[in-house]
Amino acid sequence: MAKQVIELIVNGDRYEVAVEPSRSLAEVLREDLGLTGTKIGCNQGDCGACTVLIDGRSVASCMTLAIEAQQREITTIEGLAGSLEDLHPIQEAFVDHGAVQCGFCTAGMIMSAKNLLDRNPSPSEQEIRHALSGNLCRCTGYTKIVEAIDAAAGKLAAAEDKGEQP
Amino acid sequence: MTDLSLNVHQPTEVEEVLDLLTRHQGNVKVLAGGTDILPKMRAGVLKVKHLISMNRVPGLNRIEFRENEGLVIGAGTRITDVGKHPQVQKHYRGLAYACSVMATTQIRNMGTVAGNLANAAPSADTAPPLLVYEASLVMVKKDGRREVALDQFFTGPGETSIDPMEIIEAIRVPAPPPASGSSYMRLSARSKVDIAAVGVAGFVSLDPSGRIGRARVAQGAVAPRPQRCTEAEEMLVGQEPAEDLLERAAAACSSDCCPIDDVRASAAYRTAMVEVLTRRVLRECIDRAKGGVE
Amino acid sequence: MKNPAIIGASLPRLDARHKVTGQAVYTDDLKFSGMLYGAIVRSPIPHGRIKRIDVSAARALPGVRDVIVGADTPRIKYGNWRLVPASQDELPLAVDKVRFVGDEVAAVAAIDPSTARRALELIEVEYEALPGLFTVEDATAEDAPLIHDESEGNVSLVRKIEYGDIEKQFDKAHLVLENTFKVHAVSHAYLEPCSSIATPDEGGRVTLYTSTQTPYIVQCLLAHTLGIPENYVRVMKTQVGGGFGGKMELRPWEFCAAFMALRLGLPVKFTLTREEELATGRRRHGMSIYSKVGFSKEGKLLAKDFQVMLDGGAYNAMGPTATFLCGTFGNMLYNIPAYRYFGRHVYTNKPPASAMRGFGAPQAIYVGETQLNMAAEKLDIDPIDIRMINGMEEGDVIPEVATVSSCGFKESLQKVREASGWDEKRKNMKGGKGLGIGCFSFISGGVFNWFNTKYNFAAAEVSVFEDGTAQLASMACDIGQGPDTVLRQILAAELGIGIDKIRLISMDTATTPKADLGSWGSRVTLMNGNAIIDAARKIKEMLIPVIFSELDLNQIHDIGFADDRVFVKARPKKGMAFSECVYKALRGRRGEPLTARGFYTPRNKGLVSPAFSFGAQVAEVTVDEETGLVKVDRMYTAHDCGVAINKMAVEGQLEGAIQMGLGYALCEQFVMDGGRTLNTNFLDYKIPTAEDMPPSEYVEVETYEPEGPFGAKEAGEGLAVPTAPAIAHAVYEATGYRCMDLPITPEKLLAALEKKQK
Repeated sequence: MAKQVIELIVNGDRYEVAVEPSRSLAEVLREDLGLTGTKIGCNQGDCGACTVLIDGRSVASCMTLAIEAQQREITTIEGLAGSLEDLHPIQEAFVDHGAVQCGFCTAGMIMSAKNLLDRNPSPSEQEIRHALSGNLCRCTGYTKIVEAIDAAAGKLAAAEDKGEQP
Repeated sequence: MTDLSLNVHQPTEVEEVLDLLTRHQGNVKVLAGGTDILPKMRAGVLKVKHLISMNRVPGLNRIEFRENEGLVIGAGTRITDVGKHPQVQKHYRGLAYACSVMATTQIRNMGTVAGNLANAAPSADTAPPLLVYEASLVMVKKDGRREVALDQFFTGPGETSIDPMEIIEAIRVPAPPPASGSSYMRLSARSKVDIAAVGVAGFVSLDPSGRIGRARVAQGAVAPRPQRCTEAEEMLVGQEPAEDLLERAAAACSSDCCPIDDVRASAAYRTAMVEVLTRRVLRECIDRAKGGVE
Repeated sequence: MKNPAIIGASLPRLDARHKVTGQAVYTDDLKFSGMLYGAIVRSPIPHGRIKRIDVSAARALPGVRDVIVGADTPRIKYGNWRLVPASQDELPLAVDKVRFVGDEVAAVAAIDPSTARRALELIEVEYEALPGLFTVEDATAEDAPLIHDESEGNVSLVRKIEYGDIEKQFDKAHLVLENTFKVHAVSHAYLEPCSSIATPDEGGRVTLYTSTQTPYIVQCLLAHTLGIPENYVRVMKTQVGGGFGGKMELRPWEFCAAFMALRLGLPVKFTLTREEELATGRRRHGMSIYSKVGFSKEGKLLAKDFQVMLDGGAYNAMGPTATFLCGTFGNMLYNIPAYRYFGRHVYTNKPPASAMRGFGAPQAIYVGETQLNMAAEKLDIDPIDIRMINGMEEGDVIPEVATVSSCGFKESLQKVREASGWDEKRKNMKGGKGLGIGCFSFISGGVFNWFNTKYNFAAAEVSVFEDGTAQLASMACDIGQGPDTVLRQILAAELGIGIDKIRLISMDTATTPKADLGSWGSRVTLMNGNAIIDAARKIKEMLIPVIFSELDLNQIHDIGFADDRVFVKARPKKGMAFSECVYKALRGRRGEPLTARGFYTPRNKGLVSPAFSFGAQVAEVTVDEETGLVKVDRMYTAHDCGVAINKMAVEGQLEGAIQMGLGYALCEQFVMDGGRTLNTNFLDYKIPTAEDMPPSEYVEVETYEPEGPFGAKEAGEGLAVPTAPAIAHAVYEATGYRCMDLPITPEKLLAALEKKQK
């Protein structure tokens, strides 16, 4: 099958690309759209480094066909922050709590964290760990990642109470 | 890796799906979440030139519960949604558990229960719970629908009795009787993201005298297909739910299973664990049945 | 001299913002104009001769730009141990033999990744299969075929250590234990698969962007294997997604990328798949260990006879160092009057084992700690008490190795004893529960110059500018462990300027000073930190004359540098802004920039390491005696890393090390079918997830290491050692199953329990 021209809505922007049907969303994001924040750690759906949100849900983008992601809202790590100075509370918490070492798992972790906090604004530690069970990390032992997500949950809840935008 | 000659069809009607199945028979697979099919294709284990995505066909992503009729899970319903559904959590606790712990969050968000069944891995986590609920599959083909009991569906590792021109439309799960309880437990070396080395599901209902009314036990990952343990079931029906009865039933399940040695565990370990898990599952079913929550 | 605002601060990593926004660039994120994509043909058999390779069909495939086999290359052997050329046994592409499943045989470069992979399928290789040897016992058996013709009995090198009168001490001993152990191979499992891009420069030169922990080593060996001058190769930094010892050598795809880039005049990229990494990538050495230890009635260690066969896989890689260090760690931690070590590095037809966090210590110390626990039980001495009796202290001599300088071992033992409630809990242990202890000591970089560099082991170039900022140029390599931040903290503290004023230029072998040996053996903080302090002091020597002359100071005064100021220590208000001092110095030097280089190579520190870390860890477990599953309920750690430059980073190292140790003890292993690896994805090669991690507590033990920058020494690698022995000990206490062959699996545990019952 020849390449298909598809439109992907990524972080609110519309991109038109020509892709073979077999290409994964992860590949297309990285190679065709230049959005390299999403990483490929295993290309088998096991490590979570490629996690993005599709219609607000965390999925493994290496296991998602790009053409299947049309007409959906795709959010990648690049879509979370306003700028380096204006980070999303989850990103800010990762920075402040030392939840980043080599950084390769970080984008996927943050997207999974967003998926969790969007649905469960005050998760217990067990719930956080369970939500992250599909995101492997070899550097941090997960401790500071869990702490960061817990702190971010607190910040988001406080902002919510005040009626602020996160 | 990218197979440039792969065709991915994205029909918007069931009719179209069935047409495509006919047209490309022998060289086609139906795709929903893709979490089993894509890894297999990349590993070269599955070689087809056509994939039919179900994701644009409306009406398949639904889950409904009616008091007397039970549960209907559309073929497009994601595992996460099944696990989180309040009626599933209330009435089908074994299934809710399976759907909330199997694989990873991402895979549960992408994969469907129907897909988990159709892939027919001996270790499929949704299979043992659905077997003990005596679920059935509604299949649709060009010339109409049929309903197949789940315990007739699996025929071997990765094999089912589905017709090549057929798709699963929905999963039907009967309404559970009062005073019943179900449970699913699984074992693997590392928490829960692993493919289960052993999986056991149970369902027990108690009659007013406190004896076991109905009993069903199913096991996964320990035979060529997920299967019911009828010997144990017969042993349990009509009996007082005493500890030594559970032990004997568990031992029967252990004799029933025929696991293999593989990367995940040895046959000997699996056989021994069937006994341990079955005992624990049955005990939990009975506690839940007594607790009246299910 | 500590500046608590900087030294010891829990500063967030300076590159964290880039990483959390997805802006940090790793090698595979890079693209260049005209870039081609590479792929590798690997041997499907564990041992064989190459009879014939036919690449014609691959070459003819549209989109393929180049195909190379060993015969096309200079065929220059390489290996990290340049000091012993006979040990350099690898070729980038096999020429006559393949020696493990995965051995690189050919490479292609094509216009896109899928064409490259299709080309692989068109390459025909005919092998004559040879018998494969998969255990050290088989490989060293009398008639075993040779994997490398030069290595008799398939032993590539040996190390012997002996001191004291070992026979006499054993004779004296009240208790003698003789045991054999087996420890297994595991994967580094860094999240970022190896990736390299070579871009050709003019004049036959090449630049390599690569995921590595040793840019200097890659530079030198790449030039060597290409047959070009060392400085024709430039290795450039990108972010690296973890290494743990698995990325500290020249790798075949780095060579292939560079070789083809030079031939074609185009950039070439290789990125490995996870299957390639797990099936064919480096591993930790599995070992077969015989250990005989003798104790006095009071529990004093008298003698140890330690014999190790390292399962090296098909090539030496960093095996020689592991062989050496295993012998060193065999008698670390405890004073032993007589010690004998015999280590043999054995070739087998499996993926080469190489450096991995701990470098021989996890294996050696697993044995040492377990035997100590066995002795404690037999002698009816508390396991922590027996360690207090034998434990090293500051000033102790490790014969022929070093004098222990800073040492917080006994303090670690005491603190972890308290923190874990050791005494109380052990009296009241319930069924299925157990408490165990494991300890560690580790090096802070190595003294032995196996790479045979002519340069200092670490170098730093510091420049200061009239705008009050500074630039640090260092080849030191951050692979996630944090030197990009820690080294700047050290410079900030030494120069007294804000850390935000320091720009880092790193890991570009052309513009950073020679040399840095790389990120391994926990050398970076100590060695690079010292080089930075050396450079910073030279800078200060350029600035001090300015303040003396400006303020017309009596020469007795000492000058302080802090808070972006240069001032008189006795009268802090007398001084000037750092920027102003630099400006004036610049003027005084008639425009010559203020740039200084600092260096460090350990001197007079013995044969092994300038400083040693120490620590103790307690594990609490619950064993499900029906399923054999072990749940680690809690970990307690006390460790001595000297002064922690960045507390948060040190904690992060500890927490990450527990994950690795947990996997090593319980759920990580390669399932092999002869030479073939069966579990080549993260589903079946099981590293602990967030749900598997136990809660963990950590107690500070602080010493001051005189050789270290601001008192620091290694943190993070030694911590990979104690977890497995602590868990194994706890499992023993809970069940009576003593694991003599890692990992502890449910099946082994249940089998042992069953045997016990009979």
